[in-house]
Amino acid sequence: MRGLPPLVPRPEPSAGRVPNYVWVALLLLGLLWALHSVSRPTAPEGSVTLRHALASLPQQPQEPPQRVALPHILDDQPAAWWGQVDYQIEWPRELHYDDPAQTRLALLLPRVGTRFRVLLNGQEIYQVGWYAAPERNILSAWFPYLVNLPPGLLQPNPQHNTLHIQVQGQLLERSGLWPLQIGYHGSLFERHQVLEVWQVKGTWMMLISSLLMGLLSLHLWRTLRERLFLLMALAALAHTVRLALSVSLEPVLSYGWYFYVHRLAFTWYVGFFLLFVAELLAFRDRLVRGLAWFLIAFGPFWLAWTLHTQNYDFYRLWAGVLAACGAISLLWLLLKARQRGAFDADQILVLMVAAFTLATGVRDFLVVQLNFPGDADLRWTSLGSLALLFTLSWVLAQRATASTREVYRLNQSLAGTVAKREAELRQAFEQLRASEQQRAIEGERRRLMRDMHDGLGSQLVQTLNMVRSQRDTLDAGSVESMIHHALEELRLMLDSLEPMEGDLATILGTFRQRVEPALAAAGIELDWQVQDVPALPSLDAQGVMHLFRCMQEIFANVVKHAQARRVCVRTRHDAAHVYLSVTDDGVGLQRPQTRLAHQRGLGNLRARAGKLGAELRFFNARPGTGVEFAFPIFRTLTPEAVDTAPPVK
Amino acid sequence: MAHNRSMPSITRIYLIEDDRTVLHFVQHALALRPDWRLVGHSETFAHARIMAPNSLADVYLVDLGLPDGRGEDMLRLLALTKPEAELLVFTVFGDESRLIHALQSGATGYVLKGCNATELIEAIEQICAGGAPISPLLARLLLKQLRNNAPAQVAENGSAIPALSERETEVLKLVAQGYVNKEIATRLGIGTATVSTHIKNLYRKLAVHTRVQVVRAAQERGLL
Repeated sequence: MRGLPPLVPRPEPSAGRVPNYVWVALLLLGLLWALHSVSRPTAPEGSVTLRHALASLPQQPQEPPQRVALPHILDDQPAAWWGQVDYQIEWPRELHYDDPAQTRLALLLPRVGTRFRVLLNGQEIYQVGWYAAPERNILSAWFPYLVNLPPGLLQPNPQHNTLHIQVQGQLLERSGLWPLQIGYHGSLFERHQVLEVWQVKGTWMMLISSLLMGLLSLHLWRTLRERLFLLMALAALAHTVRLALSVSLEPVLSYGWYFYVHRLAFTWYVGFFLLFVAELLAFRDRLVRGLAWFLIAFGPFWLAWTLHTQNYDFYRLWAGVLAACGAISLLWLLLKARQRGAFDADQILVLMVAAFTLATGVRDFLVVQLNFPGDADLRWTSLGSLALLFTLSWVLAQRATASTREVYRLNQSLAGTVAKREAELRQAFEQLRASEQQRAIEGERRRLMRDMHDGLGSQLVQTLNMVRSQRDTLDAGSVESMIHHALEELRLMLDSLEPMEGDLATILGTFRQRVEPALAAAGIELDWQVQDVPALPSLDAQGVMHLFRCMQEIFANVVKHAQARRVCVRTRHDAAHVYLSVTDDGVGLQRPQTRLAHQRGLGNLRARAGKLGAELRFFNARPGTGVEFAFPIFRTLTPEAVDTAPPVK
Repeated sequence: MAHNRSMPSITRIYLIEDDRTVLHFVQHALALRPDWRLVGHSETFAHARIMAPNSLADVYLVDLGLPDGRGEDMLRLLALTKPEAELLVFTVFGDESRLIHALQSGATGYVLKGCNATELIEAIEQICAGGAPISPLLARLLLKQLRNNAPAQVAENGSAIPALSERETEVLKLVAQGYVNKEIATRLGIGTATVSTHIKNLYRKLAVHTRVQVVRAAQERGLL
């Protein structure tokens, strides 16, 4: 399971600021005081607390009534008491009245059950579940009851009143009668309200809070996959089940299942809580984990055994085991934590609240199970557990927040790093592009220099040499012709630099402009059969120059050697190639004296066609000669071409 | 719109060129046509700006590389003040990339500086007769620039760019493929003069943009 690292940075309390646990400690002290004052066995003014009753067994009329002390708990009595019991309440002497019709008296039963009814002077005035079928699971003991004593039934002399409370017990449930109060309705009503708030409404609120915390923790666990949240969720949900079963007058479960699930929920709550604390304090402590797993795993069997034997002492023992395991674990963790060094604020907080919860548990154990003095009407554990759940949730929320903050910080830092790398990459790319551009410019410059050297330069040198060598017999016409050639050469070179975008027709048209006067002078007619063909990427500036040179070579041959009268330039294309052909109607390759020159020119043509990626073919035009270039439409660049050619636009 | 006006008996030429040898060449060439006159010559932009618009010349030969100003600006000025005159750009190489700016500034044709006297005379005759020389590459550039423009399309500065007619597009396509006017006429079944007219119209359309702009600027300044 993946979890957050244990050393997730937490916001340290700044110096001078009161740590949170101090406030929580004050709050817990306040809670303890409130619990104590609410559950202190006091009688409100105008009422009397009754701590004794005359108990008799209706099924055994021969047995004389016994005076018993309250609380009188049927589980702790012999088996004869496990059925119906009738408690006769002695009317207290201090409670008297003059006119029964004007008297509003009431009886407050903080805890009675599990089924009961109240009889005043032989008349039933209140009942809960008394007449319900035996198989139904009625649990009246969780609720306080305020029973009005009808004035019409009161005797004129208070001491003549007889008050009976009949109880049906449920084995294993703490059934019987607890101290009750009798007095004026007004004063008991307030007390009843207080008990209602703490016992019923309070439990409902705790139930809802616990459920919410459980679901929230479960969701956090699903999202963050941190074990702590799962333990928290399990503890909270177990607690929720326990609370839900504690506020039902008639649970849906039969009593056996009710007992089992209710007690098991509490056991698991304690077990998961101990695991959680051990995990939170970052101890993989074997003792605590062992105890917790013992409770979780062994609890179901022990409770089943208790249910089977119907002996409440087994559960009493188990409750003691739970309290002892909790106390031992907490003390052990406390000792270990002290050995390891200072606590952080969260750990102190958790330990403090856990101790508070333990104290409430021990108090309940002593008062409810062992009948220590105190008001058993109120279970402190519920509130203690809630405080603990709240604290743990708060701590977990802090951890989640801290981890979120950390993730945010990491994201920020990551975003910064990415932006930096991106900038570096962009810079590198720019540099690369600049150097590519530089390389292309260099390549183009070299090509131009080469062309100028071979073409224009040699023309000018020839002219210069001619002028120098024939200074006296200089023929102006020849010089003009040579300079004109040089100029044409230069124009051809500039033409090749124009943006022709691989348009073969336009390139040939441009060439035609340059060559046509020479052809006309030689008396050769040009048959122009050029049509639009697909653009050829190989015809970039360098490619155009290669093509010009090829055409120059071919036309020079036609003019000088072919004795042609007509030259045809034609373009066409099919799916794979663009074809350019030049045919003349001259003498062809027949004459031996033309062969050598032609072979040399042929080599040049082949080399240039190769650089253009075109196939070259000579054919007999009958009469005359034909040259055909076949340019592939989707030409793959050869490494050589890539090396020297500028990027194709 | 046809520009086949009859040839005037006297063609008056104005040369804006700082190179004296070119002046001599033009004077020498004009010896071939005694009825033509060189009516003016400016060696600088400043001189030409004052003198050229007031000249009665029919044909202006404008060098793009004047020492004190841009030839394109001179073309703009002449396009506005002498709308009926032919403006020939005098250029060494005929490099289209630069030439097209000149044409957009109002030039109606160009002459290569390296040409011989006969070629110069022919170029001037051709343009006066209503035709203008145009290279395949220039035709290609024009096609690219004008072909897809709808009649109502508006340029960045607000003036409308005229669209090409179908016939003009055909002519331009053939020019771009390297055909000469005679071949184009044969292929399209029209007269050579008509081809020249179409080409000349193309030049005008290209410069419309400039003319509108210049007229508007003049109006704003209260000159018109």
